[in-house]
Amino acid sequence: MEYKASELTSKYLRSRKIPSTACSGCGLGMNHKIVVQAIQELGLGVSDIVWGTSIGCAGRQTFATWKGDGFAGTHGRVYAIARGLRVALPREKHLILTVGDGDAFGIGLAHLIHAARSNADMTVIVNDNLGYQSTGGQYGWTTPQGSKTDSSPYGMFEHNLMSEGLDVMHILRGAGATFLARHVSMDGLAAVETVKQAIQNRGFSLVHMPYPCPTNFASRQLGSRNQVNIYRWIKDHAAPLGQEKEDTIWATGIWYDASNSRAEFSQMVWETVDKIRRTGRI
Amino acid sequence: MKRFLETGNFAITEGAILAGCRFFAGYPITPATELAEAMSLRLPQVGGVYLQAEDECAAMHMCIGAALGGMKAMTATSGPGYILYADPYGWALGCETPMVILNSGRVGPVSGITGAPGQGEFYLTRYPTQGGNFETIVLAPNSAQECMAMTVEAFYLAERFRMPVTVLADQLITDGFEDISVPENDDEMKEMRFRVWPRKVHQGPDFYPPSDAIDVPPVVLGHNTGALCSDWTPTEEGYDIEEVEAHHKHAYRLIYKVRNHRDLFSHHYDRKFMDDDPDLVVVSFGTPSRVVNTAVAKARSQGLKVGALRLINIWPFPDELFKARTKYLAVELNWDGQMVREVQRAVAKDSEVHFLGICGDLPTMHDLITTFEKIIKNEPLARRGWELEAW
Repeated sequence: MEYKASELTSKYLRSRKIPSTACSGCGLGMNHKIVVQAIQELGLGVSDIVWGTSIGCAGRQTFATWKGDGFAGTHGRVYAIARGLRVALPREKHLILTVGDGDAFGIGLAHLIHAARSNADMTVIVNDNLGYQSTGGQYGWTTPQGSKTDSSPYGMFEHNLMSEGLDVMHILRGAGATFLARHVSMDGLAAVETVKQAIQNRGFSLVHMPYPCPTNFASRQLGSRNQVNIYRWIKDHAAPLGQEKEDTIWATGIWYDASNSRAEFSQMVWETVDKIRRTGRI
Repeated sequence: MKRFLETGNFAITEGAILAGCRFFAGYPITPATELAEAMSLRLPQVGGVYLQAEDECAAMHMCIGAALGGMKAMTATSGPGYILYADPYGWALGCETPMVILNSGRVGPVSGITGAPGQGEFYLTRYPTQGGNFETIVLAPNSAQECMAMTVEAFYLAERFRMPVTVLADQLITDGFEDISVPENDDEMKEMRFRVWPRKVHQGPDFYPPSDAIDVPPVVLGHNTGALCSDWTPTEEGYDIEEVEAHHKHAYRLIYKVRNHRDLFSHHYDRKFMDDDPDLVVVSFGTPSRVVNTAVAKARSQGLKVGALRLINIWPFPDELFKARTKYLAVELNWDGQMVREVQRAVAKDSEVHFLGICGDLPTMHDLITTFEKIIKNEPLARRGWELEAW
């Protein structure tokens, strides 16, 4: 079947990498589209953005899709690279990172927290497929309790970041992030509006976007690779903030918006350097 | 020229600034802490940025980020931090990102003894990351003044070879106070044979050429060149690819861009009393070489035909310096013997190779000269307790 590129795709993405090599029925493309559409609606061009990715499904499938400059860090380190890059890049450039849940909330959590602490201007889109799916489907730090995965064949029984009243958003808010939101990938235009706000915050923004993995997560947890089942399962377990039900895992919407309220990291660094150079003190 | 009585850490800081370094990210660790402190004081004065990282892994990744943004970057640590560079070091080698790393050796393994000199990372600097398929460049100064020179040189080589370069020092050099001359202008820098290579920006699209060429500008983001860099095997344009043939080309570049341009390193060896085919060549690098040089000079005055060979560019290992069929003694600040293995590998057939290891302290003149004598007279070396002369 001939693939016909949309205007969004042909304007912003590289034909060599789109369509991606993601599994059939993967929800990552929806998240990806939400981000690119937000960029378009903000009127930003290819050269306005440097795009970073991590590894795993989310990183590998989005790496080098952006027509402009792009980079990928090893497991969990992209936030540290981004902080150094933020200092060196011109202020007007936006840094957008599309990463996975294992990368952001597991191996990279310390780096992520320090990126939030410093309020470095970057928009982190955490594409959460509920575990380590590119390695075959092991549980991660947002895998719902009780889920059967290849490394929790009896059900995931540990305390987790998205269980028993815990939510990873609380950690990030406490760490100093200035914009925090969550949407599941089927939230469509509402998610686009949120990502637009995230990008407009000249500080640390993070949007957590759980998305369906039919191939690994659904096949173990729901016993089916039928895409409809996992799409419905995720939708059923998501609810807007304030309207959570007993079985809600993902409270969606804007969790915290303190956009442009705290000094941005690189701006603070350069202003301080400039002052020291001129006056010898801060 | 300005003269100071200062530490190696001071000299490294000034060398980095002379070389154009304007970004330093580090994590406090003895005995490299004072370097971070000196950078935090000096860099803002010249318009540069000092950042403290949450760990060494983050520190080097932040340097990667700054280098990707076009800045000359540096980090510094000791052994326990150097192992945390494994991750970013591999990334920087693979993406060919220039930067400089200072490792001030202490006594290991693990935290070991923090405030004493060691040379336990001879091989770690050769293989600072996993996977193989790369060469590394490592310089080993033996004085504060040379720390400055080698830092400048490391930045120069990092740019030309497009890769991270390690300066391997030790606690005595970085912490010790010495007479240091800092050049104040380009002429004085030239006089001191300091070489500086500016940061350039690759315009693409062949960011990863399948050749051994040096002087290829590195990937710099933010110039809208469509630059790509990642931890995966790159195509020439930087796309990720899972093909052995592509990886072969990439790996060959990482190996042979260094191996095929070794002439750039060749003037960095120090030979003393080496012109008359000595009966014993004493090989060392870093601080112990200073005692070795003195001991060799004294041994000569006592009629022992001994020569001293000091390695400065320790990686790639200078095999060509070991052509003479004679006796060799490797003197190192470790007890397990690391450099000696390379000497053994590199020497001409039927050469004898001996090892004298001491750690946390320097060898004494007496120990050295006694050892020279015994080796030359074919006497067995003294055994201390259970320690055997296995070489």
